[in-house]
Amino acid sequence: MSAGIMLAGAAGALALSAVAGLFLPRLWLGATVAGLAAAFWAGAAVLAGGAPWEWRGGFQVGGFAPHLQLDGLGALFLVLLAVVGACGAVYSRGYWPDQAHPRSARVGRVWWSVHVMSLGMVLLSANGLLFLVAWELFAVSGYFLVTLERQRAQARAAGWLYLAVSHVSALCLFAFFGILAARTGSWELGPMRDQPGLAPLFWLALFAFGIKAGVFPLHIWLPSAHSSAPSHVSAIMSGVSIKIGVYGILRFGGWLAVPDSAGWIVAVLGVVSAVLGVAFALGQHDLKRLLAYHSVENIGIILVGVGFAMIAAGQGDAPWGRLALAGALLHVWNHGLFKSLLFLGAGSVLHATGEREMSRLGGLWRLMPWTASLFALGAVAISGLPPLNGFVSEWLVYIGLFDASVARGAAAFASVSAIVLLALTGAMALACFTKACGVSFLGSPRSESAARAHESGPLMLGPMLALGCLCAAIGLAPVLFWPAIDRAACAWNPAWVAMGAPASLAAIGASNIALALACLAAAALLWRRVTRVGMRRAVTWDCGYAAPTARMQYTAGSFAGIITEWFAWIMDPQVQRDCPDEPFPSHASYEEHTPEVVLERVVEPAGALTMRLYAAARQLQHGRLQAYLFYIVIGLAALAAIAVMGGGR
Amino acid sequence: MNTAVSFLELPARLAAWLLLAPLLPGIINRVKAWVAGRRGPPLLQLYYDLARLWRKSVVMSTLASPGFIVGPAVAWVAVAGAALLMPIGAAGGALSFRGDVLLLIYLLALARFATAWAALETGSAFEGMGAAREVSFGVLAEAALIAAVLSLSVQSGSTTLDAMLAPSAWPGAVLLASGLFAVLLAENCRVPFDDPNTHLELTMIHEAMVLDHSGPPLAVVLHGASVKLLLFAVLLSEAALPIGRLAPGAGAAALAGSVLAVTAGIGLVESFMARFAFRRVPLLLTAAFLLCLFALVLAWKGGAQ
Repeated sequence: MSAGIMLAGAAGALALSAVAGLFLPRLWLGATVAGLAAAFWAGAAVLAGGAPWEWRGGFQVGGFAPHLQLDGLGALFLVLLAVVGACGAVYSRGYWPDQAHPRSARVGRVWWSVHVMSLGMVLLSANGLLFLVAWELFAVSGYFLVTLERQRAQARAAGWLYLAVSHVSALCLFAFFGILAARTGSWELGPMRDQPGLAPLFWLALFAFGIKAGVFPLHIWLPSAHSSAPSHVSAIMSGVSIKIGVYGILRFGGWLAVPDSAGWIVAVLGVVSAVLGVAFALGQHDLKRLLAYHSVENIGIILVGVGFAMIAAGQGDAPWGRLALAGALLHVWNHGLFKSLLFLGAGSVLHATGEREMSRLGGLWRLMPWTASLFALGAVAISGLPPLNGFVSEWLVYIGLFDASVARGAAAFASVSAIVLLALTGAMALACFTKACGVSFLGSPRSESAARAHESGPLMLGPMLALGCLCAAIGLAPVLFWPAIDRAACAWNPAWVAMGAPASLAAIGASNIALALACLAAAALLWRRVTRVGMRRAVTWDCGYAAPTARMQYTAGSFAGIITEWFAWIMDPQVQRDCPDEPFPSHASYEEHTPEVVLERVVEPAGALTMRLYAAARQLQHGRLQAYLFYIVIGLAALAAIAVMGGGR
Repeated sequence: MNTAVSFLELPARLAAWLLLAPLLPGIINRVKAWVAGRRGPPLLQLYYDLARLWRKSVVMSTLASPGFIVGPAVAWVAVAGAALLMPIGAAGGALSFRGDVLLLIYLLALARFATAWAALETGSAFEGMGAAREVSFGVLAEAALIAAVLSLSVQSGSTTLDAMLAPSAWPGAVLLASGLFAVLLAENCRVPFDDPNTHLELTMIHEAMVLDHSGPPLAVVLHGASVKLLLFAVLLSEAALPIGRLAPGAGAAALAGSVLAVTAGIGLVESFMARFAFRRVPLLLTAAFLLCLFALVLAWKGGAQ
């Protein structure tokens, strides 16, 4: 029952914060953090083994009785929402202060509270109508958060695209819940695996939630929305909002009977998102856009785990499916943590320099040592490297896939391909983050603004430090977090009973601790040795060149060039070059740009075609009365003909 | 997890790995000298170099952060940790658990990240070039490595290195060995992927990344590289030969002989081949990947009969 009280308290505090956001920023921050702490408590209580919470309103609102519930699966996402929501709220006080943004800071606070509350409502809804209301509120509040900086045309365009695509998703959900309610006779949601006739509805849900999750061909809204939004908004959108899409797929993949091929399709979507997401990330020169594409990649990794769990469920609950799902669920947390950390880091860079273009950054570590270190921590985590959390969840997914391959069942062919492609993804993510870190933080500053950067204040560094510590905690002691993951997995598939952590997970945790300690010790020893033998500074050795300049450094484009060339078939990079030709060339330039292939090559032409068709159809409506009378006569004649010919029946 | 490792075993293993590793580059150089009809540097040259570098002072770029020193240390720890996971014949690995093979692969990736990070510290175009090449070719090398590991896993029905590296000889082993040999050459920056002797920065990968290192950090980089070479030689030997099935004495002898043979093979390749043009490096790595993939198919189909 305590979960219910906590949730009620959370709702009250968040409602208060939505009002306080207008006038009392301090009260807003306090209420938001307190409300999210209560929500965290409720989620943690359910994950720690408490009974799932359920509440049915004894009254009717507009013809339906509200029905809320919080089980392990919802609690997993709720906990993440609470952590990222609170960190983002604190960060926004330093990043988006009233002094600098008198109008949008106020509005932003209110929409932040609404966004967080509606996300929580989506996770709690066990009623189709309530779900739709919460979903719509979540989409609309997201739009207002993306367009906080609406004086910039880029942000307006991104917001418009986000709103349009969100509503395609919402329309599909209206259809989904409508058909579901028509078939079952009630808006109530809950396990209904015993009705195989509902299985085809899963495709509708997959499409709608896939759009929200940013699965590869449906990700068109994601890069621009996540990069144009203020960074604390990017953090919650990338860390939590897109996970709600994953939640939807998991929720209705678990509650409904699914088609036999569902798991395969989800796994294929996952692999495609993972590989192409990271490939497109490598082609980006904008730090936040690069991070946005990595969300596509990580959603892909999560969906690979989910897909194989669904395949396993269709094959007599093979044990490897459970490992894959555990990996996917842990990756939901992990990605939420390190991606928020990275977006907040990118926000600090943007705040300090006003630049998002990596080719105008560089050498920031000297001026922003904390931001640089925390960004590096996030980079190691997202590249899936030990000893941090990204490695643990990817390891769990891998182990599930390896077991599937070793079992040589029907899934082995798919799992073998998935493993190889995931390895490819991991190595490319590493390449991408060496690029992002190296070009932004190392070397020498490439522009005036980068040279005049400043470290962020404690309000911005504090949340980043907290997220970084959580990344390290999950990496070093994964066993502690296993029961929560396992509980969510059991909520997904009620046939499973709670299981202790695999012994090898403890071994991974121990190895990670040993590795972290050994790295610290080795670094300290080497540093001491270097100071003992003596160190002097000299200009970088550039093959004897005496006067290196910042522009001679490797750029983001040149760093990623080798790999982006392999993916030129889909990325279609646009190059504008003006080669030097005379003996003493006066001008030369080289510009490379990676287009949004799906948006610019598929969606926009399709949209333009539709507009042309409608424009052609508009010829019929021209205001000449005689012609309209003629249409009516033809229509009547046609009706008469039908009546006469079909009259016999 | 296997039984608790006795207190003495871990340091002994570590010492063996760390002390024996610098021998390998010496052997390669002797083989190359022998083919060319020269006397060549002493077998223990790398030990002398390391001892000298450890005592020398350091010149650091004005742009470099402390990460310039931390990077080589982390890379060295990661490679040494990966070496500890490798089973040695029937004795197994120092630490063995289900899925340890993935830890090994990701430790090597961590080493790559740390080295590339340290390289980018200096802001030098050459080191950027080297780091870009390292992480890009690393993508293909990692795909080949995981395909190789997967074929061993499918063949042995296990995801523990101890069990994976002890199958009886199977037809795929030849394919696997050739694929892994190419990965070894690429990951350790040997001809035909890279030339460890060249001093033309534009054509280098690994050496270009460590151009600015000096003194003890350079010693750590060089030593780590030799440990990595030994690691790959041991992996290749155990993947191709059923060393884990032999008696301890015979197994150790077979392992030592095989590592020597691999090392000599690298020396011969370097004597008789030229470095490839960079355009062709991805092709060669793709070929290595395909070899490992064919080994995987053989393992899969062979076991199904």
